[in-house]
Amino acid sequence: MTDALTQRLFFLFGLLIAAGILGALLSPHFLQVSTVAYLLQYVPVLGVLGMVQTLIMLSGGPGIDLSIGATMSLVGLAIAALFGSGVPLVLACLIGLVIGGLLGAVNALLICVLQVPSLMATLATFFAYSGLALALTGGSPIGGIPDWFGVLAQGRFLGIPIHMWTVFVPLAIVLHVMLSRTRIGSHIHAAGNDERAAFLSGVKVWRLRFALYCLSGVVAGLAAIMTLSWFQAARPDAGEGMELLSVTIAVLGGAHIFGGIGRISGTVLAVLIVTTLQVALQLANISQAWQLAAIGSLLIGSVVADNALGKKLRARARSAAT
Amino acid sequence: MRIELSALRLPSRPRRIGREGLLLAALVVLCTIFASQSEFFFSERNLTTVLRNSVDLAVVCAGMTIVIVLGGIDVSVGGILAVSAVLIGRAYQYGMPDWVVVPVGLAAGALLGALNGAIISKTRVPPIVATLGTMYIYIAVLFLVIGGMWISGLPSTLSFLVLGTFAGLPAGVYVIGAVYLLSWLLLRRTPWGRHVVAIGCDEASARLAGIRVDRTKIQAYALLGVFAGLAAVLYVARLRNVEVNIGTNIALEAIAATILGGANIRGGIGSLLGTLMGVLFIKITQNGLVLIGVSSLWETVVIGALLIVVLILDSLESRRVS
Repeated sequence: MTDALTQRLFFLFGLLIAAGILGALLSPHFLQVSTVAYLLQYVPVLGVLGMVQTLIMLSGGPGIDLSIGATMSLVGLAIAALFGSGVPLVLACLIGLVIGGLLGAVNALLICVLQVPSLMATLATFFAYSGLALALTGGSPIGGIPDWFGVLAQGRFLGIPIHMWTVFVPLAIVLHVMLSRTRIGSHIHAAGNDERAAFLSGVKVWRLRFALYCLSGVVAGLAAIMTLSWFQAARPDAGEGMELLSVTIAVLGGAHIFGGIGRISGTVLAVLIVTTLQVALQLANISQAWQLAAIGSLLIGSVVADNALGKKLRARARSAAT
Repeated sequence: MRIELSALRLPSRPRRIGREGLLLAALVVLCTIFASQSEFFFSERNLTTVLRNSVDLAVVCAGMTIVIVLGGIDVSVGGILAVSAVLIGRAYQYGMPDWVVVPVGLAAGALLGALNGAIISKTRVPPIVATLGTMYIYIAVLFLVIGGMWISGLPSTLSFLVLGTFAGLPAGVYVIGAVYLLSWLLLRRTPWGRHVVAIGCDEASARLAGIRVDRTKIQAYALLGVFAGLAAVLYVARLRNVEVNIGTNIALEAIAATILGGANIRGGIGSLLGTLMGVLFIKITQNGLVLIGVSSLWETVVIGALLIVVLILDSLESRRVS
């Protein structure tokens, strides 16, 4: 019951349990071991995008990356095309991550060097990247990814998808430790809370944000690799809708759109909640509409609740001070 | 008060002329390229087609410009358009006459827009988060009402609004003209418009100056809603059906056109004339690429590239000024 963020985590945890109970009530097939694996199959791609979106929002500015889905599509296509022209697949994936980083660097250049508001800059690159992904392929997917590569997203270890073990969980731990235990983490928080104060106390605010937008591109590349392994083909619209969905996940997880507040653990819970709802309604054969309505209301409701809570906490702090 | 507030418009003057000139030059270059490659481009029939295709986006963009000048943003316009359109479709199916159907569409738009405005101003949820949430909810409403089936074969009694001709000019010219004239009068020639600009420049000061910020916000979002409803009427009048994926891209396209036209997402600055030219640029690109035999998929690349160029020029100019 200490701070707002811990309360937020309890709230999200409650929501996750509620979503699970809802699933169990709606469908007899929900409470099975196979559901867990099925559910976790969807988590990593959206999860890594949501986590990096959280970091970008956290660093303030206000920061947002709307091009994240388009970057993901473009990197996936680049990897598949490189492989098609004879580059070994693992090398192609590494090159893909570099390309992702470069695409992110374009955003970083616009936002951190030219001082364009992030919403406008990444909207522009969203159009450019998603357009390129469609135009360069003529809208058709690139296939021919070998079966062994499918192990990453289709294989299971102890019943849990391998990309959970190898990508999602390690990235979540690394980012969580970075945010809560290292100097970079406290610099990110400082930049998001008050960029002027952070700058005056020696935090290189813009260099930090530059790096985060590049990281966003690299992580979009990771998401692209997982999708490539899952479908064994690169689709030009693979990342469509991911930009708004990742923002949704980050905000639901407690990240504040103007920066300074947010946690990786909240984002992880948020992606689990959204996926559980999705799977539960899918198993119960209920219209997707209810899932959208639930996400929408949760998104607004959670921010409203946060604001109300914040006001109460501030009032308490004021009365304690006087 | 009157003099002080109108002074707020002054700083944007020199830049607005620059932006509109730039867009005009870009449009002329674009049209010259298309005309030199295809003799059909400048034919009356083709120009009419371009105009008919631009009507929906142009109408929505007028409202979007006002909301962005206010310092807000609305990513749910596609959802509003979709809900209005599906209600119009159902009303037609129940055999209602035009004079009932059109007000239903406009009123639905106004109501949903006002709901956005109320959430944003009363609960202080940031506009992009609030409208992201309502977008999911509106799309859910669309799915529930439409039930997965297209509504098609609607009556053509209103088609003259888009497809007809009056006094030698396509009807769309009058619709767009009326909407932009009304918006311009509201924004630049009424106290309400000055309040909008003042809130966009500095909300706290506007509040201290006695402007009813919350009410103005709700009205501005409701106006955008009405325009989205009007766009829905025009959409149904033109195509005589309602699809499941109606309105998916219009929000981001509208924001792109508005930014192209010189509006700043931080609020206070925006030009209706510029926005209209942004819309024409987008639609002429769409049309011209097909005519000269380039895949229409390149369209988004062109929009994105122009957006990036415009943002870079803007940033360099503002740096030179400061």
